[in-house]
Amino acid sequence: MEQVNQGVRENVYPQAAQALYRTLSQVAISAVTPLAAVIVALACGAALLWLNGFNGSDVVTVMIFGSFQDMRSVGEILLKATPLILIGAGLCVAFRCKIWNIGAEGQLYVGAIAATFVGTSIDGLSVWVHAPLVMLAGAIAGAAWAGIAGYLKVRFQASEIVTTIMLNYIAIILTSYLVTGPMKDASAAYPQSARLVREAWTPRIVSDMRLHVGILVAVVLAVALYIFLQRSSRGFALRVVGQNPHAARYAGMNVGRNIMIAICISGAMAGLAGAFEVAGVTHRLYQNISPGYGFEGIAVALLAGNNPLAAILSGGLFATLRSGSEVLQITSQVPQVLVLVIQGIVILSVVAFAKLRDIIRIVA
Amino acid sequence: MKLSRRTFLEGVAALSIAVSVPAMAHAEDLKMGLLVPGSVSEEGWNRIGYNALKGVEEQLGAKISYVELQQNPASFEKAFRDYASQGYKVILGHGFEFQDAALEVALDYPDTYFLISSSSIHEGNVIGLNTDTSQPFYLMGVIAAKMGRKAGLVGGMEIPPIQQAFAGFKNGAKSVNPDFPISEAYIGNFTDTTAAKEAALSMISQGADFVVPNASGATVGGYQAISESGPDVRSFSIFSDFTPVAPNNILGLYVADYAQGVVEVVRTIKDGSPPTENVVFGLKDPKVMSFTFRDDGPVSVPEDIRAEVKAISDKIAAGEIKTGE
Amino acid sequence: MDDMMFLTFLATLVGAAWRLATPLIFASIGEVFSERAGVLNIGLEGTMLVGAFCGFATAFATDSVLLGLLTGVLGGMLFGLVFAFFTITIKADQIVVGAALNLLGMGLTAFLFRTYYVSTGKGIEIAQPVHIPWLSDLPFLGEAFFQQNLIVYSTILVAILATLVLYRTSFGLTLRAVGEHPKAVDVAGRNVAAYRYGAVLVGTGLAGLGGAFLTLGHSNQFVEGITSGRGFIVLAVVVFARWSPIGAFFVSLLFGLFYALQLMLQAQASIVVPYQVLQALPYIMTIITLVVVRGKGAAPGKLGQPYEMR
Repeated sequence: MEQVNQGVRENVYPQAAQALYRTLSQVAISAVTPLAAVIVALACGAALLWLNGFNGSDVVTVMIFGSFQDMRSVGEILLKATPLILIGAGLCVAFRCKIWNIGAEGQLYVGAIAATFVGTSIDGLSVWVHAPLVMLAGAIAGAAWAGIAGYLKVRFQASEIVTTIMLNYIAIILTSYLVTGPMKDASAAYPQSARLVREAWTPRIVSDMRLHVGILVAVVLAVALYIFLQRSSRGFALRVVGQNPHAARYAGMNVGRNIMIAICISGAMAGLAGAFEVAGVTHRLYQNISPGYGFEGIAVALLAGNNPLAAILSGGLFATLRSGSEVLQITSQVPQVLVLVIQGIVILSVVAFAKLRDIIRIVA
Repeated sequence: MKLSRRTFLEGVAALSIAVSVPAMAHAEDLKMGLLVPGSVSEEGWNRIGYNALKGVEEQLGAKISYVELQQNPASFEKAFRDYASQGYKVILGHGFEFQDAALEVALDYPDTYFLISSSSIHEGNVIGLNTDTSQPFYLMGVIAAKMGRKAGLVGGMEIPPIQQAFAGFKNGAKSVNPDFPISEAYIGNFTDTTAAKEAALSMISQGADFVVPNASGATVGGYQAISESGPDVRSFSIFSDFTPVAPNNILGLYVADYAQGVVEVVRTIKDGSPPTENVVFGLKDPKVMSFTFRDDGPVSVPEDIRAEVKAISDKIAAGEIKTGE
Repeated sequence: MDDMMFLTFLATLVGAAWRLATPLIFASIGEVFSERAGVLNIGLEGTMLVGAFCGFATAFATDSVLLGLLTGVLGGMLFGLVFAFFTITIKADQIVVGAALNLLGMGLTAFLFRTYYVSTGKGIEIAQPVHIPWLSDLPFLGEAFFQQNLIVYSTILVAILATLVLYRTSFGLTLRAVGEHPKAVDVAGRNVAAYRYGAVLVGTGLAGLGGAFLTLGHSNQFVEGITSGRGFIVLAVVVFARWSPIGAFFVSLLFGLFYALQLMLQAQASIVVPYQVLQALPYIMTIITLVVVRGKGAAPGKLGQPYEMR
């Protein structure tokens, strides 16, 4: 039946258009639940504001539209989206392999430390060498930090949920030690590292905006991870290990190695995000380099249904919410932490709608 | 006192309508924005910035707004820009960490004044406002060394405003007795009130009888420990009035009326003669920094020590004693 | 340090350790119930914050610590109900829902606190240490063990009660079976979902109590993020304790001990190690102990897996 249909269509549409049609309808279907979830979450946010004496419609008029005033504010959203997309896309890989890496925050910090070290201790390189070197350092450090948890899981069956959380604390404390001690800027009283040398800075896209090429790197890597997961044999192996480790082992796959690869990819992405925060945004290491991007990245991956391609969109959405929540406080004095509530509800609604879709599918 | 933000905002709205009518006569209203790295609901650092903002509103009739950012350097620049682009004349970044971002944005908004708390910068329209806490803490150190056997200092995180204060305390104590023992501990955050409490308790059990906590929102935990340890442990109330928490232990109050200082600086900006260098508030500015003794408590500082402290305070105000590092 | 000094140091240390361990004890024993029934709740940080906030808000309005504790528990259970609905009824992934609840708990408590408490002044009257005649006055031992408030003492009761319920009642037996062989329980005609709901509610109720202790029994103020990561530490405690309530009690104490030691050693001028090393110690120790007590032997067989009814 299906073949007949296809045969008929083939005469009408050229093959490429047909493929496009199929992909688009797939995207449309899979976009419905996250969209509905976002609408529910915004409605809940509005209700919360209304209940507490604020203006509920601000959630849309100020929080969403307010963040798209001009090119610069869009640039600021993309700037916030960069770490979220990187971390979110990386975590998609780990979560697909059923590795619960809760430690992206710590991996981000370690990446930032390594980037700072390479960006401050070397001088005289060209920007073409130094800037990528800084990124690489961040990615390697992040991967190594995540690799500790991976190794402990593979070798000692230590729960990665627990070890990655512990490694978060250790990385943050380590940063605090470094910027008050060995890496402290000698010329300043404040706990911050020296400024990275110019050549180490991540180049900006437009010279008078803060947006840097990190956003392009993030998008490209997210696409690459999507292709890796869907099209490569290694990506396939990761997914099988995630779905059924026993079957994977039975099929001769090295479960431990796949776990290590998955967690290290997610760690590298988080480390890279940390490198961009230092080399692209602050140009120094501070004690609080991340406002919780590592934890928010978990939500980004979940909203994306563990699909790195979709993480680009969900990362952009979360960045918009975060940016908008600041505008909301400035204009309407709504506590900015509202964004956490909305993010939490987004995840819960995604879960609920996915279930609803399953039920509808079964009934239909 | 319990005041919900809702009633508070309504009050502000009513008030601003009331004042805006005569203010219409002015060519433009003064608008002031505030960036704080945390919640203004806690008795601590962020509240001080908020009070300054309120002071400017009440005394200069400014339109005000504030934003509570998480401690995230990446968001600072955008917040400055948001305010500046909306025509805010003065923006106070409450903490040294705002300095780099302000410098960046200031280039694009030469007519806006960027005030930075706890900073000693002065570059064009970016002006640092530093309250030299080492001065009152120096006096506390003197009192501790004269009245106590051992002192304990509980800090939040190792950042300049706190290091500066503790350095002042140690210098003051050493000026009386070079061997006066002082122990110091940092809880590593500004949220864990229980850690501040336990750190203070442990110092007290190890013989400290003069304890001063300085950990922003978590500070109150330290006073609680002091209060629970009986009247033999002495302390000073810092920044806010903590005497209700430890009524039997607090000898006096160091209250920083940062608001007064900020109001004066903003007034000069409003009048068109902004400060030409970075601003340092100290004991020389009694309106900003008040150091007073309590007489209603069960213990109080004897008259002879008060006289001595007064003399030292005058010398500090005159610049004859260096209190910091 | 001479002997007397050392004894004082030790007595203070143990006393502080017990107080610092109390929220961990409540929450980890609760999580033992939940995990024994096969439900892994990583949303404890948010749950504890809800307990801390509800407890504080109630005591602030009514001046009653007891009412505060009660609403702290109820707040935790209400949060638990959301968790249970999503993970047991809808069968959503437990990690996903837990992560969402952490965001929700942090966001909601901070939002409400910032909205309604512009100033909390001197805070609330908290539970006071009880004086036990003779015992409290013992040298050293008195300070270490007998100068705590009732909430701290109740941790012993909770640990014993939890052990009895888990190992000596049919509810406990079934609950453990639900975590190991849910199918067998189902076949025997008992409702797996109901037991899991029960376990989650016990767990989140105790987590709420742990949070409420922070604002009602230890410090007298709510501060945003007052739990400071304790909800995550609890997860480590449970694994380290091999899913036993008594184990959770002692492992929590060990964590409390590390935490107190860290604060006390900093105050010793003779110790020159950077204080951050001491701060990191509990976390490093957790990782090491996970390696040392390795193996999944004691972990509930169906931990983290939703149960599909036939």
